[in-house]
Amino acid sequence: MATFDFLLQGLLVAAQPTNLLYALIGVTLGTAVGVLPGIGPALTVALLLPVTYRLDPGGSLIMFAGIYYGGMYGGSTTSILLNTPGESSSIVTALEGNKMARAGRGGPALATAAIGSFVAGLIATLALAFIAPYIVKLALVFGPREYFALMVLAFVTVSSAFGDSTLRGLTSLFVGLTLACIGIDQLTGQARLSFGVPDLLDGIEVTTLAVAMFAIGETLYIAAQGDRGPDKVEAVKGSVWMNAADWARSWKPWLRGTVIGFPIGAMPAGGAEIGTFLSYAAEKRLTKHPEEFGNGAIEGVAGPEAANNASAAGTLVPLLTLGLPTTATAAIMLAGFQQYGLQPGPLLFATNPQLVWGLIASLLIANFMLLVLNLPLIGLWVKLLTIPKPWLYAGILLFATLGTIGANPSVFELGMLLAFGLLGYVMRVFGYPIAPVVVGLILGPLAEQQLRRALSISQGDFTVLFTSPIAAVLLVIAALALIVPLILRARGRGQVLAQLAASED
Amino acid sequence: MNKGNHPSVETRRPDRAALIIAVVLALIAGLIFWDVSRLTGLAGYSQIGPTTVPYAIACCLIGLAIWTAIEGWRGDFAEREHQEFGPVFWIVGGLAAQMLLLNTLGFSIATGILFAMTARGFGRRELWLTIPVGIAFSFFVWLIFAKLLQLSLPSGPLEHLFF
Amino acid sequence: MKHFFLASILAGALALPAYAADYTIIAPANPGGGWDQTARSLQTVMQQEGISGNVQVQNVPGAGGTIGLAQFASQQKGNPNALLVGGYVMVGAILTNNSPVTLKDVTPIARLTGEYEAIVVPAASEIKSMADLVAALKKDPGAVSWAGGSAGGTDHIAVGLIAKAAGVDPTKINYIAYSGGGEALAAILGSQVTAGISGYGEFESQVKAGTLRLLAVSSAERLPGIDAPTLKESGVDVVVENWRMVAAAPGLTDEQKAAVSADIEKLAKSAGWQEVLKTKGWQDTYLAGDAFNEQLAKDVSATETVLKDIGLVK
Repeated sequence: MATFDFLLQGLLVAAQPTNLLYALIGVTLGTAVGVLPGIGPALTVALLLPVTYRLDPGGSLIMFAGIYYGGMYGGSTTSILLNTPGESSSIVTALEGNKMARAGRGGPALATAAIGSFVAGLIATLALAFIAPYIVKLALVFGPREYFALMVLAFVTVSSAFGDSTLRGLTSLFVGLTLACIGIDQLTGQARLSFGVPDLLDGIEVTTLAVAMFAIGETLYIAAQGDRGPDKVEAVKGSVWMNAADWARSWKPWLRGTVIGFPIGAMPAGGAEIGTFLSYAAEKRLTKHPEEFGNGAIEGVAGPEAANNASAAGTLVPLLTLGLPTTATAAIMLAGFQQYGLQPGPLLFATNPQLVWGLIASLLIANFMLLVLNLPLIGLWVKLLTIPKPWLYAGILLFATLGTIGANPSVFELGMLLAFGLLGYVMRVFGYPIAPVVVGLILGPLAEQQLRRALSISQGDFTVLFTSPIAAVLLVIAALALIVPLILRARGRGQVLAQLAASED
Repeated sequence: MNKGNHPSVETRRPDRAALIIAVVLALIAGLIFWDVSRLTGLAGYSQIGPTTVPYAIACCLIGLAIWTAIEGWRGDFAEREHQEFGPVFWIVGGLAAQMLLLNTLGFSIATGILFAMTARGFGRRELWLTIPVGIAFSFFVWLIFAKLLQLSLPSGPLEHLFF
Repeated sequence: MKHFFLASILAGALALPAYAADYTIIAPANPGGGWDQTARSLQTVMQQEGISGNVQVQNVPGAGGTIGLAQFASQQKGNPNALLVGGYVMVGAILTNNSPVTLKDVTPIARLTGEYEAIVVPAASEIKSMADLVAALKKDPGAVSWAGGSAGGTDHIAVGLIAKAAGVDPTKINYIAYSGGGEALAAILGSQVTAGISGYGEFESQVKAGTLRLLAVSSAERLPGIDAPTLKESGVDVVVENWRMVAAAPGLTDEQKAAVSADIEKLAKSAGWQEVLKTKGWQDTYLAGDAFNEQLAKDVSATETVLKDIGLVK
């Protein structure tokens, strides 16, 4: 089989010592920059791509693969340890991961994230090699109405990140949706809620909001506890490694996360975040330890992290098979490929097999390097938590603002960082969950635009939303996900209602 | 996040903070109505134009404001822990200082001040020590990211001294 | 090997000799986009060709480049060492965003490169030629959905111009705006829309693979190596070029302006720049001096008219 020959050949090239070294450098640089809050994989790749230009095509391709996977993985470390997600696709990781870290289980959380990323990256890269042409057909069937149905499903799943109060969860979500309206309406070019401020015309940057709400809000909240909070977090309780129970609870979420993340990453308007939301919701429904969700359930780290990395490989499906850059990261990669004389497009696999398989082999090697680099470092990362608070949080704010300044060194952007940081603080004080705000900002525009596109194409016919089989199935799943828990809760509510009635007088 | 861990004795008293939150939500809704009303409903071929979704969000916000007000009135709203505002002011001041000084004094000095004021917020009072440490650390970070990785970080007098 | 590698980065980054003319190039977009790539290519070639020793690129993203434009016009006034990358998209964005700062507030130096619009349909479509598409548009403008870039951008303007030239009310076009080229392309390939419009480069590989049918290009004359008629030949009198330019700060003396122009001309004629154009697949449409200013004024007034026709500008 020619496919295997090419892949083997690619692996042989990639496994040469110098190329392994390049992979290691790429992964290290990618992780180092990707770890900064506010600098996601897109910016990481854009910043570091020029570094690879100095090498020969084989070496630069391998280093590039390392940077990409490193940048993708980097965000989860700060999410888990410091509750400051580096980019939007590791927000969900912070929900359970940080709770684990606070309970002295940061080691297992980081380990399940690293191994889950590796497993997902491995499976998804192999899927990229062998079933990409089929996946891409599925992705193209997705038109505006199917995306709208997918967004409805994603919205329903958000409720799993609401915490204990529906009122406060919904309020957070609608704050996010309101922020999402700010800026130029994509379909008509009109400015909404911008009040004539040019800096608002492009809307609120998701990374700015996430960094402000999580990193700065968290810092302010911890500071406001004064001396009452525990002075130092106990970094390690029990083992720094995953125990047998952790393994048993992790492997299924890894696989489920991969299955959810890969196809969504392959969809032109999917995006890595949506895969992580769906994976988190799925794990929360399927777990045998529902009481641990919200307090540090390892499944809630394993699944979304796997989904995140699987969708990173998924992004390459439309890029390599169709030449479609579906994310900002992919668009930058496209520019990078051109540097290697690679013109992604439908003929790429036929005209340039060596380079394509070389890239896929590089991704496999880079994925492996990531594991090699990160597993031994876990012990070291966990020690971060033992840094005395003044230095630790001063450092967090330094790096949080560095990311924003590096992306856009404007006073206005820093002002937004401060304003949203205060908002995040106030919301924490009153017990509002933070994640739904960011989720609303991400999903709001996607859902609105796809709905309006669908209706525009059908010239105002609402029935098209339900007549596509895929859209119909997705909407039915969403309806079930919404209604079934309500019924279950209503059945179990008798006692609660009785209690309420009793305390009423 | 703090949940109402300590059920208070006077839970049945109207919660003023909740009422304020309700008012703020209603104000945001009003702002949306006011801003969106001046858009042309230029919807093209779809009945859902640029104004539909903001109006829907504003209506939901009003609903949430009423719900919050009811909970606040009945005193069902979450309990808060005591907050110390001194540290918060220090950190917010540090962020504001960095924002305002960044383009004149450059990344290292502005961020060094943020560093020191954050440390102050967490109880490190020796500004004579923390400011130099912060500036040195920020300069080191600037070297790596601006010079090695070509990130465009604003430079000021300190950076110009060396480059 | 590692030492060599680190040393080369360090040498490249730290040992920059101080030349007389150090340029700062403002790219009014995020890293990775077209303007950013142009700015970074300028940086590389200027240093490589010895035009300038130290060139910095600064990204000031936002609002179709108008934020970068406004900041450039106010902060760099009279600074002969500052350059701004921009393009046709800015012309539209200034109008739709009501930007108080326009291209009149900077000193345009030269057009460097450009791309023409291409109109495509999925390979399976019943529409075989531009004439078929125009006929369908005349019959029922709403039934012809166009996928392209953001509202008020080059693609949208081109569709408005096509409708107008075909005698169809431009407010009746059913234009579906997408954020990125990839998303629009996916919608066209999946036959979600009737036709697609974007820069030719976005469609090139699909057209060559036969998955998209190229109906026409928006250049004045046929493009070498592209087997498609121009819009003009197809009976639609429209020419659109999505150009990119470089501008200098406002308030320069004539000598300063001449010095910048000379540097840019030297760059545009250099072997290094030609090599960049070739690897990136950009057309060389270098135009400077009065000829460029004239073209610019024409583009601005034509764009204003069509944006009013579509209803995006009042």
